[in-house]
Amino acid sequence: MTETSRPARPALSRRGLLFGAAAGTVGATLAATTASPAAAAAPPDAEDLVDLARTYPFYGTAEQAGIRTPPQRHIVFMTFDLVSPQRADLQHLLARWSAAAAQMMKGGAIGRIEPARPDAVGLDTGEALGLGPAALTVTFGLGPAVFSDRYGLAAQRPAGLRPLAPLPSDALKPEFSGGDLSVQACADDPQVAYHAVRDLARIARTTGTAATRFAVLGFGRASAGPGQTTPRNLFGYKDGTRNIRGDADFDRFVWIGDGPQGIRGGSYQVVRKIEMHIENWDTDRIGDQNAVFGRFKQSGAPLSGRDEFDTPDFALRDAAGAPVIPPASHVALAAPENNDGVKILRRSYNYTDGINALGQLDAGLLFISYQNDPAHFERIQARLGAADRLSEYVSHIGSAIFFVPPAAPEGSYIGAPLFA
Amino acid sequence: MRPETRNIAATTPATLRPVRRHPALAAAAGLAALVALSPAARAETDAAPVKDGVAQVAITLLGDEGGRCVLDHASAPAGPVTFSVTNRSAPGLVELELLGDDRILGEKENLAPGLPTVAFTVTLGGGGYAIYCPGAAQEMQAFTVTGAAAATATSDTAALLAEGAAGYAHYVDGIVDAMATAVGRLRADIDAGDLAAARRDYALARPFYERIESDVDGFVLDGHALTDNAGNLDYLVDMRASNLDPAVGWHGFHAIERDLFESGAITASTKALGVELERNVELLRTRVKTLAYKPEDLANGAASLLEEVQTNKVSGEEESYSHIDLVDFAGNVEGAEQAFAFLEPGLERIDPDLAARVKAAFAAVKTALAAYRDPQTPGGYATYTAALRDAEAPKLSRTIAALQEPLARIAEKVATAN
Repeated sequence: MTETSRPARPALSRRGLLFGAAAGTVGATLAATTASPAAAAAPPDAEDLVDLARTYPFYGTAEQAGIRTPPQRHIVFMTFDLVSPQRADLQHLLARWSAAAAQMMKGGAIGRIEPARPDAVGLDTGEALGLGPAALTVTFGLGPAVFSDRYGLAAQRPAGLRPLAPLPSDALKPEFSGGDLSVQACADDPQVAYHAVRDLARIARTTGTAATRFAVLGFGRASAGPGQTTPRNLFGYKDGTRNIRGDADFDRFVWIGDGPQGIRGGSYQVVRKIEMHIENWDTDRIGDQNAVFGRFKQSGAPLSGRDEFDTPDFALRDAAGAPVIPPASHVALAAPENNDGVKILRRSYNYTDGINALGQLDAGLLFISYQNDPAHFERIQARLGAADRLSEYVSHIGSAIFFVPPAAPEGSYIGAPLFA
Repeated sequence: MRPETRNIAATTPATLRPVRRHPALAAAAGLAALVALSPAARAETDAAPVKDGVAQVAITLLGDEGGRCVLDHASAPAGPVTFSVTNRSAPGLVELELLGDDRILGEKENLAPGLPTVAFTVTLGGGGYAIYCPGAAQEMQAFTVTGAAAATATSDTAALLAEGAAGYAHYVDGIVDAMATAVGRLRADIDAGDLAAARRDYALARPFYERIESDVDGFVLDGHALTDNAGNLDYLVDMRASNLDPAVGWHGFHAIERDLFESGAITASTKALGVELERNVELLRTRVKTLAYKPEDLANGAASLLEEVQTNKVSGEEESYSHIDLVDFAGNVEGAEQAFAFLEPGLERIDPDLAARVKAAFAAVKTALAAYRDPQTPGGYATYTAALRDAEAPKLSRTIAALQEPLARIAEKVATAN
């Protein structure tokens, strides 16, 4: 699933392009900005490129694309409620969705955009025409209610799939929570991601199988994948410096290692809509912000170190004997060292919903994690929710959990073995 | 319902418009052209085997070579033929049709790799047919039936649809008659200065217009330009605050609604509005009775009634003073369902799956609406207050959306069966 096809079209580095353009056309501005610390103007990672011709295969024999795949720049995430009680309808929907996703990930339309007959409606809505595949990945998840007697799937329920336990500081709203099916569409062009979800939602309506529940549009990936520089969340901090990267950790913490065909090789997707009170945050002094995260804002280094990837030293004390990394800081509470070595794969994005009813900027983090046991997420979040100093500045307003089946081989569809 | 705007001065009934054919589809009609097109015709000239009196043709959809629809036999003897369709590996191919003389004789939708084989059976007379695989590298393939050129089921389907369209015209005539009577009652209440009776009869008159509103828009009074709302009968009867043309002002149902429910007073101007509405509804009635409908007009009209529900009723915009939006909502749905019911016998022949889906979706909408029934309120439905709207609109809107998508597929099917 990590293999990619790279057509001959030259890769475009968005940040590289921006830097180049700035040098050529607004040199004076650039000169002014380079006066800031060198880290701010460092060139982007050579591997961290936006290539709108890049494709990932939908079909495969391992995991679905969109988990291990390097995070793209944009996401449209949507959940659905099943409205048909028919097992066959659910099968049809998953099969139509799989076929459509396979087409769209190749950069194709899912059907005729302009049918030959004037009285016909198009099968594809058309807005992604000519935009290229843009590294689109579509990842499907099945919620707890799918595995019920209603669909004859109660016996197939993956061992770890259950509603998440209530967690400290939860402020969940039903309108941002739950769902029977999830669609995570990520791409380097937001319109490509939106088109994918829109057309999948249309198939759900056409087949009368599922209705939309909640959606989040995210941008500027807030978690790093392998080979990527660590991006920043809307607090301005690098997030995901210590994210899962190696195959061994994927096998140990992300993929479900046992169970029957159709379960093994899958994962659990935890989704949290986390509102950030960014206007309050912006008034907080930098020393306190660093203490809240346990990292330096600009370099991303732990407060105990000098470079981003320095391992945090939670034992280090300052001259007065106080821990250099405060025990209630985000990094201290979330660190695997302090959670019996437990890790989760974070694949989050920033989001904004514009301005809220109070006239404040309405923004936050669409937190998405993948793990082979939802208890791993609960364990970490229970600590964060209870003690994290960051809690002053965030509210968990949405929550959902899904089982993400392994990829479908060509000629089949996501979840097919469950119906065998 | 019809894309053309008609001039009300026209005296001839609307006539059937020639069906515009896409070159590719038009070509499919001619067997000679097809065979020339079709390399598939070369090897599979042997006729399909007949099992229990039914010829068996297997069609396999493959994803290679840009997407292929492979027939195991390209001909069959006259009589019943079963086409079994399996999508083995073609994510881009989700539908398949059997065409005869440009008409859809049978089809399968919702094809996707991994799903079980689906089949349809049609009785075919001798002649040339085509298998249409939208999106395949070769979309059209010839299919030949040998033997007597029997009268096919097609003509029955077309006749059923034509019968339905004629039946629908009677339905619309009945509704405009009832509307004229109801509006006459409303006008009399207003003349008598009876506010309570006028409010009640307003709610009783409204749903008639809502049932057929997609048929009655686009009429322009003699001597007016297309863009002049002073001559637009739909504007004069059904304008509201959101489409107010300041140059023409308030007219019709909603001007009366504003007097009855907002200011709560019947004035000389209300009486003038009542007289004007009665006159315009009478004009509508005369014009509507000259209309003829094609099957696809029914389908497109039903679709636009549902669009009306989504844009004006769910939002509570239509009846902003009387709040009888749910009465209008039910009127739109009933009009759409009637149009569908008249098409259903023909559609059953063409695409029974689609007919069943649409029927189930209508049932879901009606179940949702039934929750708001209130015999005490004029019009029979709960008052659509802001609180009710905020609580219920998302659910109602989704239920309608679930009906809109399958319903939108009908026009194409019935148009091709003409």
